[in-house]
Amino acid sequence: MMPQRGKGLWLVVVLLLPFYAYLHMGSWTQRAELRQAPTTSFLVPSQFSRVLACGYKGLLADFQFLRVLTFYGDRSANQQPLSTQDWDYFRDSIDVLTDLDPYFYDPYVLTEGLLTWDAGRFEDANTLLAKGARYRRNDWRLPYFIGFNNFFFLKDYAAGAEHIMAASRLPDSPSYLPTLAARLAYYGGKSQTAVLFLKQMLAENSDERLAKRLQLRLSALERAALIEAALQRFRHEKQRDVENVKELVTAGYVQQLPEDPYGGQWRILPNGRVFSTSKFVQGKKE
Amino acid sequence: MVQRVWALSLVTCKEGIRDRSLYGIFLFALFVLGLNVAVAGFFMRDLGKVTVDMNLAALSFAGLLLVFFIGINLMAKDIDKKTIHLVLSKPFSRGEYIWGKYFGLLLVVLFAQVIVLLFSCATVACVHAMYPGYFTSFSWPVFFIAAFFIYLQQALLCAIVVFFSSITSTSFITLIFSMASYIVGISLEEVVFYLRTQAATEEVVASATLHHTLEVVTWLVPNFAAFDFKIEAAHGLALEWSRLWTSCGYGVLYICILLVLASLIFKRREFN
Amino acid sequence: MTEIILNSLSKSYKPSLFKKRVQAVDGLSLKVSSGSVYGLVGPNGAGKSTTIRMLLNLIRPDRGEVTINDQLVSSGEFLHDVGYLPENPYLYDHLTLRELLQFAGRACGLSTEIVSRRTQELTEQTGIAHALSRRLRTFSKGMRQRAGLCFALLHDPNLVILDEPMSGLDPLGRKMVCELILDLKQQGKTIFFCSHILSDTERLCDQIAILHQGRKVREFSADDLSAFRAGERCLEDEFVAAVGQSNVTDEIQREVD
Repeated sequence: MMPQRGKGLWLVVVLLLPFYAYLHMGSWTQRAELRQAPTTSFLVPSQFSRVLACGYKGLLADFQFLRVLTFYGDRSANQQPLSTQDWDYFRDSIDVLTDLDPYFYDPYVLTEGLLTWDAGRFEDANTLLAKGARYRRNDWRLPYFIGFNNFFFLKDYAAGAEHIMAASRLPDSPSYLPTLAARLAYYGGKSQTAVLFLKQMLAENSDERLAKRLQLRLSALERAALIEAALQRFRHEKQRDVENVKELVTAGYVQQLPEDPYGGQWRILPNGRVFSTSKFVQGKKE
Repeated sequence: MVQRVWALSLVTCKEGIRDRSLYGIFLFALFVLGLNVAVAGFFMRDLGKVTVDMNLAALSFAGLLLVFFIGINLMAKDIDKKTIHLVLSKPFSRGEYIWGKYFGLLLVVLFAQVIVLLFSCATVACVHAMYPGYFTSFSWPVFFIAAFFIYLQQALLCAIVVFFSSITSTSFITLIFSMASYIVGISLEEVVFYLRTQAATEEVVASATLHHTLEVVTWLVPNFAAFDFKIEAAHGLALEWSRLWTSCGYGVLYICILLVLASLIFKRREFN
Repeated sequence: MTEIILNSLSKSYKPSLFKKRVQAVDGLSLKVSSGSVYGLVGPNGAGKSTTIRMLLNLIRPDRGEVTINDQLVSSGEFLHDVGYLPENPYLYDHLTLRELLQFAGRACGLSTEIVSRRTQELTEQTGIAHALSRRLRTFSKGMRQRAGLCFALLHDPNLVILDEPMSGLDPLGRKMVCELILDLKQQGKTIFFCSHILSDTERLCDQIAILHQGRKVREFSADDLSAFRAGERCLEDEFVAAVGQSNVTDEIQREVD
């Protein structure tokens, strides 16, 4: 009698398995779709997550950071651009997790990489980075990032110079920082300055995502700088401005016009700076 | 007297260590440490911080499980199964019994913590070897200091468990009260400072009664945040000796007061 | 020279919040002279275990006092010289027998040599010497009882208190306990024990008291016991009579009230 009953139970298990498999796949598919929807995740505000962490604030911050990474990764894997809501969620997540552990360096790098270049939220990025700078007092990279943002995105050269100077006073900062600060204060927004900045950023950086962006921008700016230099020589010798960029080639100041890696057309601005119709942003073509 | 207390501690410790439940706790700690090695690569730069976070969390949580389940069991079993009649038939005073059981619990927790710490060090060394460039701010001394204070936290919890066990014989009630004390102790600092900042900016109107109640609670329940050096260990931040001595003294004194109170309560108890 | 005096001992307790107070022991007075074996018998729930707990200062009496060697028990000093075996002793499961006895020895302040000597003697006498290195959780009930005896007697106390020492033992075990008690008596120790088994109690004791519903209903002196042993009287009959009579008295009392 016993072996027969035993066999019966095994049969039951075997019969149940396909149902389980079906529901398992269904459940995971549902979750995948849900995650693509606009951000509906609720974020526990800092005061409460600090209490809820029950003494494991650092660990909770790590976990939250992984969530933010996955969130961004999900979107970019599906080639979905992030909406304003998404970026709000991103910024708030980083805010909460840096409240849990303000010494945690990775979120600041992610902020500098994404919130500025992709989202265009320069003030938000600077607020977050300022929090980090308050705690990571010996880390020159945070005021450096703030300075960079001020210079590159916000065009506030004075503030940029101030922050770069502050960074240069911190231990292990690169030796060129004081010079850079001085240049910023004097030359403001010339492309050559930006090229120098970007080259340094690339040297310090180890994140692939950020590296690609920086590289692209760097080559665009280097080419712009090339053209700017040629423009200056032209103006100095010919005592007049060019009509359009192509004149530089015909006049022999540039062998061949370099291409804008963002796919736009070069434009010369009234103050002599070289810009592009692509505005140095990926995906925009006129 | 010392010999008697030590004899009881030894017996309690052996009971605790030979309990199979200890293996479960070790397995859990091993699991967390393995997770640590696996997950480290997900992060960008601050691997030292993440490793320390996970290791100290494993150490702390394993200790919690130990105190709440095995610790309470060690206290309650004596009374439930009437083994305490046998122990008290020997020339043990009630106070000696309490201190003997307490030191026994401490030894069990110490044993478990040391083993988890050893595994922890191995994990840190392993992750360090795997990703050598990312351990810039790690510091072994601060790591060990944080581990020591985690042990002090567990010692405090053991004292709380012994205290509540002296009042009630039901292990479930002891568990609830001990857990409640822990949760209050952990969140106390955050709540108090949050209310203070809110009161300053007058965003949240908290009544005077709430403030007074909280004040009383801070005197009664230990502030566990004073023993939390996890963030400092994660980032290798410098620690001042004054802070370490104050926290240590605070913890030890609270433990002594609690155990003396427990002895007094235990003197009045009757064992049927 | 250990003698026990119980003087009008009373203890009541409430079984639960809503039940009436139960009088466990009511005005119990007895005297155990030193070097004698005193037996306390009675039906289940008579208050024997409660009396023993009051003897050991595990619970405090509501009224009356317990004096051991002219010292009040509440001071706690007397335990150096007392060995106690409870009914169904539950010992620390994960320890070995040797570790348990080492604990007993250290608790009484004995040196290691004395402890190992006494361990060897006692375990051989009780027949569990072969199990010294085994964990107590592997012991059978009989072995546990013997282990409890060794635990109680390790420090060679002058007063031995046993609560149902024969419970759970097979005939060989019971014989071993009887011989042990007689041996202890020969050494001049005072023994106080309670039991259900009238035949053994009759054989071993110098004095017997019958406890019923917390009250001492009969006390038998040494002469009575010689009569029992000679077969002239039957303890069992007198026990039943005493308890039955007490029941009747109670009923009449209740009627009157």
